Amino acid sequence: MIVSSGFLSILVSIALTVTVITPVVLIILWIKDWVRGQLW
Amino acid sequence: MNVVNSHVLDTNTGWLILAVFSAVWVFLGWFWGRKAKQLDDFMLAGRNVGMALGIATAMATWVTSNTTMAAPQLALQLGIWGMLGYSLGSVGLMLFAPLAKRIRSLMPAGYTSGDFIRLRYGKFAWRVFLLISLFYGIGWLISLGMAGGVLIHALTGIDYRIGMSVILAICVIYTLLGGLRAVIGTDFLQTIIILIGIVILAWLVIDKVGFETMHKAVQEERPELLNLLMPAAIMFLFNNLLFGVGEIFHSNVWWSRAFAFRQGVGFKAFLLAGVFWIPIPVVAGFIALATPALGLNIPAADMVGPMVAAKLLGFGGAVLVFIIVFSALASSLDSLLAATSDLILHDIYRGHIRPQASKEELRKAARWVILLLGVITWLLCLPRLTTLASLLYFTGAFVASTIWPIIAGLYLKRASSTGASIAMLTGTVIGLWSYFAIGFYVAALVSAVTSMVIVLISMWYKPDNFEWSTLNEQAKEKVL
Repeated sequence: MIVSSGFLSILVSIALTVTVITPVVLIILWIKDWVRGQLW
Repeated sequence: MNVVNSHVLDTNTGWLILAVFSAVWVFLGWFWGRKAKQLDDFMLAGRNVGMALGIATAMATWVTSNTTMAAPQLALQLGIWGMLGYSLGSVGLMLFAPLAKRIRSLMPAGYTSGDFIRLRYGKFAWRVFLLISLFYGIGWLISLGMAGGVLIHALTGIDYRIGMSVILAICVIYTLLGGLRAVIGTDFLQTIIILIGIVILAWLVIDKVGFETMHKAVQEERPELLNLLMPAAIMFLFNNLLFGVGEIFHSNVWWSRAFAFRQGVGFKAFLLAGVFWIPIPVVAGFIALATPALGLNIPAADMVGPMVAAKLLGFGGAVLVFIIVFSALASSLDSLLAATSDLILHDIYRGHIRPQASKEELRKAARWVILLLGVITWLLCLPRLTTLASLLYFTGAFVASTIWPIIAGLYLKRASSTGASIAMLTGTVIGLWSYFAIGFYVAALVSAVTSMVIVLISMWYKPDNFEWSTLNEQAKEKVL
């Protein structure tokens, strides 16, 4: 059962999108914690 | 087919990057660690870590050089399922979320995973667990140290032993200066660097090779890599899931974070870290599928990631991959150094050698333990024993045997000390047998199943009736 190039591109594109979003979310959370004095 | 010259960075550039990043990590280690005067500050970052740093440290620790280097290696060996199977490592992070919450509430004053086993199952099980946990900790440290040496050699030509020594020394220094606070602080920056780096690499591979070309070349030369029914790969999928769960459930790296996170943070931090971690092995691994299209001949499977990056992106790619893997290495090496030294300090030194040691004495001894652990790791890394993935999955037989004793111990009063000890010992032995008799991809699976059967039988045959308040050692001491 060989996967198609379309399957490969969808799989990698989804993974890439989530990986792009993650640092943005982390930085927003960091600012939020920092403003509240709750970093650590 | 042509073998690329992997030393695309000249030695001076390699040393320059190493020097700059090393100086930054060591400075930050000192900066964040300068107020860590008390034992709880040094070992557990003051037990007050917030959400952003919590998520980042869980992610960074789990994104090791084994992810950035072994994910392409596994994609090259096991194809699509190699990447997806590696992604299932995130399940361990997500499943640990409720456990972290329960650990924090049952043991508000706990220090290590060894504390839990000792209080829950008694001294014999504790010693069995310590053997497994320390063996795993040292195994993982060797794997990371080796990865450092391999990477630096592959990209700059700097001798394996020198590169490995440098990277290990840097991590020992800043962990020694700042304890867990330094580890968690640097983890945040390292996570951001790793994520941005692998996105750039993946994007450039798509741009320069393209899915169509990549798929066509793989189908012609290595069609099995695109086969969703590849038997070894499917076994690997389940094995990796259990390996990840076993590693996270037992390792003090994760328990120390459960103790260090502020009340209410652990559950969400581990859950989100798991979700964000899922795509990383796919993004880091799929670039290996470009190998046939590029006509690359890979001399050692664990060098495929750096070689593809260097071939495609030349000097810039080599610099980028060097920074990514250096960050990934440091983020895991420091965590492991801190957590394993905590285990040695708290469970071996205080637990077995000097039970009367005060917190001040332990705070001073902590630095010596980190240094000693660094030296032992360095000695064991000197001969390059095996490939990264093989070493990683050898330890799977050990860690998977602890999954069920830990779950049952945290949630079920009936779980017994005898059952937990036999489960860990038998699971490890049979898991190791399967590693040699069948293959690396089944060791964790066999070990976990064996351990589960024994825990279940022991709960039915001779159940315990554990009192949960026993786990709150500090409250017990106050009453006494």
